[in-house]
Amino acid sequence: MNNSVKTALIIGGGMAGMEAASKIGSAGYNAILLEKEDHLGGIMKQLYGSFPRWDNPQELVGQKVKIVEENPNVTVKINTTVKSVQKKDESFLVELSSNEQVEIDAVVLATGFGFFDTSEYGEYGHGSFDNVYTALEFEGKLKEMESWDKKDLPQVVAFFKCVGSRDRSKGYPYCSKICCMFTAKEAGLMKDINPDAKCFVFYMDYRAAGKEYEEFVRSVIEDKHVRYVRGRPAKVLPENGKLMIRAEDTLMGVPVEVAADMIVLANAMIPSEATKELAQLFGAKTDQYGFIDYIPGHPTQTGDRVFFAGGCGFPVESLGAQYQGAAAAADVIALLNQD
Amino acid sequence: MLNTEDFYHVWRIDQTSSLLREEIKEYCHTNIEMCLECGKCSGGCSNAHIFDITPRKIIQLIKIGEEAKLLKMDALWSCVACQLCVDRCPSSINIPRIMDYLREKAYKQNIPSTRPNVELFHELMLGNIKKFGRVPEALLSVEFNIKSKQYTKDAEMGMKMFFKGKLNPIPARVKDIQMVRRMFRNIPAQREG
Repeated sequence: MNNSVKTALIIGGGMAGMEAASKIGSAGYNAILLEKEDHLGGIMKQLYGSFPRWDNPQELVGQKVKIVEENPNVTVKINTTVKSVQKKDESFLVELSSNEQVEIDAVVLATGFGFFDTSEYGEYGHGSFDNVYTALEFEGKLKEMESWDKKDLPQVVAFFKCVGSRDRSKGYPYCSKICCMFTAKEAGLMKDINPDAKCFVFYMDYRAAGKEYEEFVRSVIEDKHVRYVRGRPAKVLPENGKLMIRAEDTLMGVPVEVAADMIVLANAMIPSEATKELAQLFGAKTDQYGFIDYIPGHPTQTGDRVFFAGGCGFPVESLGAQYQGAAAAADVIALLNQD
Repeated sequence: MLNTEDFYHVWRIDQTSSLLREEIKEYCHTNIEMCLECGKCSGGCSNAHIFDITPRKIIQLIKIGEEAKLLKMDALWSCVACQLCVDRCPSSINIPRIMDYLREKAYKQNIPSTRPNVELFHELMLGNIKKFGRVPEALLSVEFNIKSKQYTKDAEMGMKMFFKGKLNPIPARVKDIQMVRRMFRNIPAQREG
């Protein structure tokens, strides 16, 4: 770290934060990257597969971590959070959980998103029935399944989309944007691990707005033979050791049932607690849900010398998080250049 | 004909594919997994207003594997194979070919058509093709109207057409009728046709 140049603080070591830190570092400014866990990588690090190109997420994270760690201007602080913030004229005095105090000239919030608490959806039985998992839990399960005996693998796996998303009654009327894609990915990966498994995806519509996304979902349906059933499941009941799912096939207008061995819930993405706290500490603008909001005309800026990137603004896929990280870095660099 | 009662039950979906779907893939060269469920087929269908099951729903029933329902539906016999559905389908799903396949299947299984005299017309028409290599309209309509006991049905129109020289009472034959007969011999013996 060079004491004569300006410093930016990046909070959150996921794809967005790492991208922002490495770019700010490459521009010659000091970048301090805070991560509350003991490793970099965020959500991406917990994933088994990626869309739309089936790349190995561990490799993608590994490449990014290497870039960050090799950058002499980036200081990574793991197991570290922000304790308090004091605003000075054109800088912030930030006290870290390590009791260290740093003076910074700009901050990038990249704290990622949190997940909707599935206990609000008691009808799906997450937490009370065995073999009901959230999408993120299922990514870990997929990893485990690699080493399972074929006879132990689930034969029928059902995926529920919009668990919490697009639900006004629970306070989340928005679409979480990426569940359609990762659900297709997880169903496809399940078929790769056990080609004999039957995968059903319950959906209201699939939203595949992105480069190669529509083709990705179609390939999961047409080449991997995942069956999409249109309708939002109404309830899950255990029956003879299986999980009986009741829904309407809204394309036929008839009630349908599916007996599944395993159910995967694509629960909504919501603002994380850390995002809400930090927004308050740094005086960042937030929207009605608690996601970081932008200043009109400045898509990466949310306050005076406060920028943001990635899932803390709204759910975003890894590539989008990197775009946003790079964009926030550009804004930080431009600001520090003017000082 | 399908009744409302045919839909009064919970439909169990336990397969991601169905035997019928595989047959259709093989014989109709159409993959119904490509269906986008957009309903453009039903929207453009020239007869959808008199269909008990519209084209989009027919594809859905194939997905679920409800063969029994498909073979007794009325739409099978009110479809006029105008090809608008396949023409407009963004995935080029050949619904008329599927309808043909289902009709043949119903016919072979002796499932009665829901519209009158369909089998009679089918048999007479194929019989004529076998005999002459083409369809002589005058002969076919006389034969059909007598056998279906509709003696005066087309009489007036037929006379007008005859006097204008639009209807030839003597059936024409194709040049190489032996070729047509060979074609019929090569088709494995089934219930007429």
